[in-house]
Amino acid sequence: MTTEQPIIETKEATIQFNDLIAVDGVNFTMKEGEAIGVIGPNGAGKTSFFNLLTGLFFPTGGKIFFSGKDITTVPPHKRVAMGIVRTFQLVSVFDSLPVVDNLILSTNRISPDHESRGAFFFGDAHRQNKVEQCMDALKLMGIENKAHLMTSELSYGDKRKLELAVALSLNPKILLLDEPFAGLSDMEIGEVSQIIREVKKKFSFVIIEHKISHIIDLVQRLCVMHEGKLIAEGPPAEVLCNAIVREVYWGKEEGLTCSV
Amino acid sequence: MINTIAYGLTIGGILYIISIGLSLTFGTMRIVNFAHGLIYTIGAYFLITLLPIARDNFILGAVLAVLAVVPISYIIERFVVRKLYGVSIDYAIIATYAVVLIGVDLIKWIWGASPIPLSDPVGIDVAFLGITLPLYRLIIILLAVVIFIGLSIFFKKTMVGKIVTAALEDKDAVRSLGINVDKYFAYIFVMGSSLAALGGVLYAPITSVHPYMGSMVLLLSFAVVLVGGLGNIKGTFVAAFALGMVMSVTGRLWGPAAETMVFVVMGIVLIFKPIEV
Repeated sequence: MTTEQPIIETKEATIQFNDLIAVDGVNFTMKEGEAIGVIGPNGAGKTSFFNLLTGLFFPTGGKIFFSGKDITTVPPHKRVAMGIVRTFQLVSVFDSLPVVDNLILSTNRISPDHESRGAFFFGDAHRQNKVEQCMDALKLMGIENKAHLMTSELSYGDKRKLELAVALSLNPKILLLDEPFAGLSDMEIGEVSQIIREVKKKFSFVIIEHKISHIIDLVQRLCVMHEGKLIAEGPPAEVLCNAIVREVYWGKEEGLTCSV
Repeated sequence: MINTIAYGLTIGGILYIISIGLSLTFGTMRIVNFAHGLIYTIGAYFLITLLPIARDNFILGAVLAVLAVVPISYIIERFVVRKLYGVSIDYAIIATYAVVLIGVDLIKWIWGASPIPLSDPVGIDVAFLGITLPLYRLIIILLAVVIFIGLSIFFKKTMVGKIVTAALEDKDAVRSLGINVDKYFAYIFVMGSSLAALGGVLYAPITSVHPYMGSMVLLLSFAVVLVGGLGNIKGTFVAAFALGMVMSVTGRLWGPAAETMVFVVMGIVLIFKPIEV
């Protein structure tokens, strides 16, 4: 079973918007079960890179492979069905729906066998079996008692947890988290990283973060992006001692120490 | 006065039925769809053609006319509108306006340019509170309310409704749930177009049917959509009846200002509640 086939791989992945090259010839490989952190200053192209992996943008150059299959032009919803799931930097739950409905939408792609597609899509969305599935996901995050509130009434931290619950319920093979700690209090950061620690054994994941200290003990490998390019990668301790990385990050984060 | 109110409600009802589709396409897809007015016009012309086939049974003729519009609106969605998702809004205006120009010329080619009158299909007046009103107008008002309730339930209860509600907030987030958003946009587009056609069918006996009947209605519908809020089912309903009332009251005081007043109200609303496109 242990093939060396990378779960995700990009070859010279590039995206250019007019004069701006947001992602510039990135070669990235990730083995199954790996946990990778992507760091870099604002505007380094981290989120654009996620958008390429998830298909929200198609690259203007290069190729993207998932389990050896070329997915460069596969639309986003099909990539989710393959198991590429993401969260967003700006929390992306739906304020105008009840909390539980956010999860009901994510059960959409698993249309149950015992009802026709028409009944599934045009029938009552709140059927018991669906709601039960969703409650399990909410329990994992400890927000099951808020299931029937409107999403807009949730605190920012709870929205983050809901977003994570939605992502997990999509059965990811690879989970892409875009700054999951942004805007959270220290206590909430602790809770969310605990949840990530618990679930991360089940699949591969990539996490974008500004603050290296938040992810240093969650990931096995760090990738550093700067001006659209992947400038360094390797085990965290090694990457943090890299001279170029230190230059890019110099003075930007307290406590960024090189232990070698 | 009661007559003025009844007239305002009729206009409001028609405006609601037409505007809701425009509001949903504008709200979800950020597409300014000029072809919406053309669909309204085509609905009315189909009614004229299909009435004799339906042996002058208005309800049957109306249903057939609306059904006949479905493939046409699907073609417009599939080959024009779908190419406009995510591109700048001006392309949508130009492309759908081109569809209108082609469509209007086709209508003139098939049915001719002169107005075709149509008589009141019910032909019964009801008297209450000392005034008489055509029953047909009351039916229109009632139908608008029924459609509003039906759509509200649809959007609250069904999966498709929830997908569209979510897409109104954030399309990319819906895509990231593994949902093919464009497919549901197509459903919504066809549904909205069918309602526009129904609006044309219902209004045909009140006005006369001519190739340009859609243009003023389209502008009024845009006013309704902007006042009611993009993609806002309830807001569109309230705005349609409010602006219908503005039209009828202004029309009673000074006829030529009736339609202008609608846009004045729209302007005032936009000053206090600007929209982001």
